[in-house]
Amino acid sequence: MDELEEIKATFFLECEELLADLENGLLAMQSGSADGETINAVFRAVHSVKGGAGAFGLDPLVRFAHVFETLLDEVRSHKVEATLELVRELLRAADVLADHVQAARTDGAVNEAASAQMAAVLDSLTVAGKAATAAASPVAAPPVAAAPPPPAAPAPPRASLPVDDGIGSNFRPMTVSLASFDAAPLAPPAGDGDWIVKFRPKTELYRNANDPLLLLRELERLGPISVVIDDAELPGLNELNPEAAYLGFTVTLKASLQESAIREVFEFVDGDCVVDITPPAPPPVEFDLVALLKAAEDVKPAADFTPAPQVMFKPLAAPPLDLMASPGPATPPPIPVFAPTAAAPPPPPPPAAEPPPPVSAEPAPEFTGVLAASIKTPAPKPQPAVAEAPANAQATIRVDPERIDRLIDLVGELVINQAMLAQRVIESGLASSSSVALGLDELEQLTRQIQDGVMAIRAQPVKSVFQRMPRLVREVANMTGKQVRLVTEGESTEVDKTVIERLGEPITHMLRNAIDHGLETPEERRAAGKPVEGTVRLAALHRGGRIVIEVGDDGRGINRKRVLAIAVEKELISSDATLTDEEIDNLIFLPGFSTAKTVSDISGRGVGMDVVRRSVQALGGRISISSKPGEGSVFTLSLPLTLAVLDGMVVDVAGQTLVIPLTAIIESLRPKPEEVKGLGPQGAVLSVRESFVPLVDIANALGFRSEKRAPSDGVVLLIEAEDGGRAALVADAIQGQRQVVIKSLESNYRQVEGIAAATILGDGRVALIVDVDALVAMRRRDGARNSEPTLFAAE
Amino acid sequence: MNRTILTVDDSRTMRDMLRLALVKAGFDVVEAVDGLHGLEVLGGIDPDVIITDINMPNLDGFGFIEAVRDGDRHRATPILVLTTESDPEKKSRARQAGATGWIVKPFHPDKLVEAIRRVAA
Repeated sequence: MDELEEIKATFFLECEELLADLENGLLAMQSGSADGETINAVFRAVHSVKGGAGAFGLDPLVRFAHVFETLLDEVRSHKVEATLELVRELLRAADVLADHVQAARTDGAVNEAASAQMAAVLDSLTVAGKAATAAASPVAAPPVAAAPPPPAAPAPPRASLPVDDGIGSNFRPMTVSLASFDAAPLAPPAGDGDWIVKFRPKTELYRNANDPLLLLRELERLGPISVVIDDAELPGLNELNPEAAYLGFTVTLKASLQESAIREVFEFVDGDCVVDITPPAPPPVEFDLVALLKAAEDVKPAADFTPAPQVMFKPLAAPPLDLMASPGPATPPPIPVFAPTAAAPPPPPPPAAEPPPPVSAEPAPEFTGVLAASIKTPAPKPQPAVAEAPANAQATIRVDPERIDRLIDLVGELVINQAMLAQRVIESGLASSSSVALGLDELEQLTRQIQDGVMAIRAQPVKSVFQRMPRLVREVANMTGKQVRLVTEGESTEVDKTVIERLGEPITHMLRNAIDHGLETPEERRAAGKPVEGTVRLAALHRGGRIVIEVGDDGRGINRKRVLAIAVEKELISSDATLTDEEIDNLIFLPGFSTAKTVSDISGRGVGMDVVRRSVQALGGRISISSKPGEGSVFTLSLPLTLAVLDGMVVDVAGQTLVIPLTAIIESLRPKPEEVKGLGPQGAVLSVRESFVPLVDIANALGFRSEKRAPSDGVVLLIEAEDGGRAALVADAIQGQRQVVIKSLESNYRQVEGIAAATILGDGRVALIVDVDALVAMRRRDGARNSEPTLFAAE
Repeated sequence: MNRTILTVDDSRTMRDMLRLALVKAGFDVVEAVDGLHGLEVLGGIDPDVIITDINMPNLDGFGFIEAVRDGDRHRATPILVLTTESDPEKKSRARQAGATGWIVKPFHPDKLVEAIRRVAA
């Protein structure tokens, strides 16, 4: 994957977290449990979304986030009060922001109208929006070169410089290849000129780790420079404060450019440095030299020209560098202190007139050395770096999920291989106490541990799914006009990633159903003496090697009479069927069952409980409901912790090898003939400890065999379905208990009712894994209809 | 030896973006997730340049810069601030805290490298 695409993927992942933080923060503000940091976190979330979106050019997202952020910033700084109404709007805005993120992720479109409307609302809530004057937003003045330049700063004409031959007055900016300046002394091209840049750092400049040397280096990138240092302010060594600013610099820059290019060099030190830029000198005739010089003399060096940290600076005799001292063309020679590159321009030509006494024998190297030294001060030379330092800070590693998936596949193969090996050993007739067999036992244990370990890597808390639900609840509540409080529990419950990815849909449906059908309207609740606000509870927990998701409401509960009547009316059950309360409740999962009197917005989305059940079953899961009239209902969804492996009982059925999930089996037994009682023309029940359990012959149910066979000839597996209903499955023989690797039948063949998946056995044969619930439900249904099962024939 | 840049940003995306651009330009990159973490990391390394976000949990960019400047070890290390807009108010606050320069988000990798060049010795 392209690196940038990868980061983009990370960005969307991060967005999910940020949006969750945002929502949690806003919810905390709504419930009054927010502290001072909450609003900051909320602001940061939106700010970070905006920042990342900007990096990827996601403009609609940036625009919306910006409006949102602006308001949040004002809330944060207490310019806008965080009223409950405001927080409600912010929550809505968070939802729109999530839509924007989603749209950006899928290259889809957002509801522009809704987004614009929301943006307008947010805008209207800002201080500026409230004042209803767009101009009210405080616009700071554009940054100005802080201290005004000394009024009489222009450099006097200098003999050392080639005087412009009149072309200078016609100066026009033009593009000049700076490379052409590399080779030493050549006459400046037409339109070129000498910019005089004077700057005098303040102490703040040094404090912020800026450095005149770097500024000079930047200036040199614009063209050849020569630099003169003004050290007039430099005190004697005994008075020198190493951290103060003492120096001024006068740079002569040979380049044809706009002043802005030079200003840009000083962008970071704007305000920390007095800068004066003089464009290339106009022809001498326009110069009133005398007046200028007089003005110059009137002006003392600015008082705030503060000294520089030049510890090693050798106090110099006399004031040798005062440019203003000697009028006329006889200026002192500029001291070329700055020669950072080999291709640096040669020092300016020697002065025409008598030079002042030499400043120092070797000024250039000395100064350069000093400047270079100032970079290192005041920090002492660092200790050897400890590169590992940041490593301990992040205890997690990020791994490409594909690698883990591949690892899990491989471990799956290992499990199968180990099983095959074990089978071979048994077939070879080795005693189970032989060292090979014992070694194999250990191998099996290790394999299992590896498998558990690898699965744990891929496990994730269900939080990522739960986080999406508050918004859903809000939306459904708004649509139905009900007041709903969502309570979540067990968010940190971990489950395999493959399961996590597919949890969202059934939970969404169950929540919708709980609010839409379960909860009463506020009026009804008030009339029933309940709190007006309904509570929906979403919980996750581990139970018996499975993950259980419960969605409960404190609503009206299931109207069993009505459910029963509908089921009979729609011929889902026979009119004389006697059902337990639980069985009645679970009728709502039957295809074609719908109790909603009107098709509401929510149900209109094609959410039937039978659809939910089917999608859950496809995951090897079970769903059931329990309900108390007037007190509410609880949907219980149970899923395997992983879709990769399963503990199963391997059985023979009509020459086929099948696997029954161990979690469903209560016990296995060999029935005596007298324990089997006929029931109706087809059915039979088994008497188990004074209760009767319906018998299901697997071979008949799955269509392997049409003739009946006495259950007492085979073995019976007593199973419990997720809804609590029991059944006795009849098989021919039990092979044993084994962990099997699940291979999807759906993706490799097609979905088959009554079969959950397939696996590969130790001998290399494919075995089908029985969907116990479906088998029982089929029998119940078929029994009710008195029809023959036609499993493998039907799609 | 490559120059080392410390990036301090609570956004993983931004850290990744910075890393991508900086590594391509030949820098070594060390990352911290907020100001507090940044100070911790600075206990073990001496980066040539520090790049920091402003809005961060635990310790924000202003506080981070002030702490760096108050210490002895890194007070001469150039610090570039990441700002979303060229907000003059924020820039001046950052400079007051001790920032050396700034980078406006979203940044172009060339601009980023240029800003580092301008402040790095």
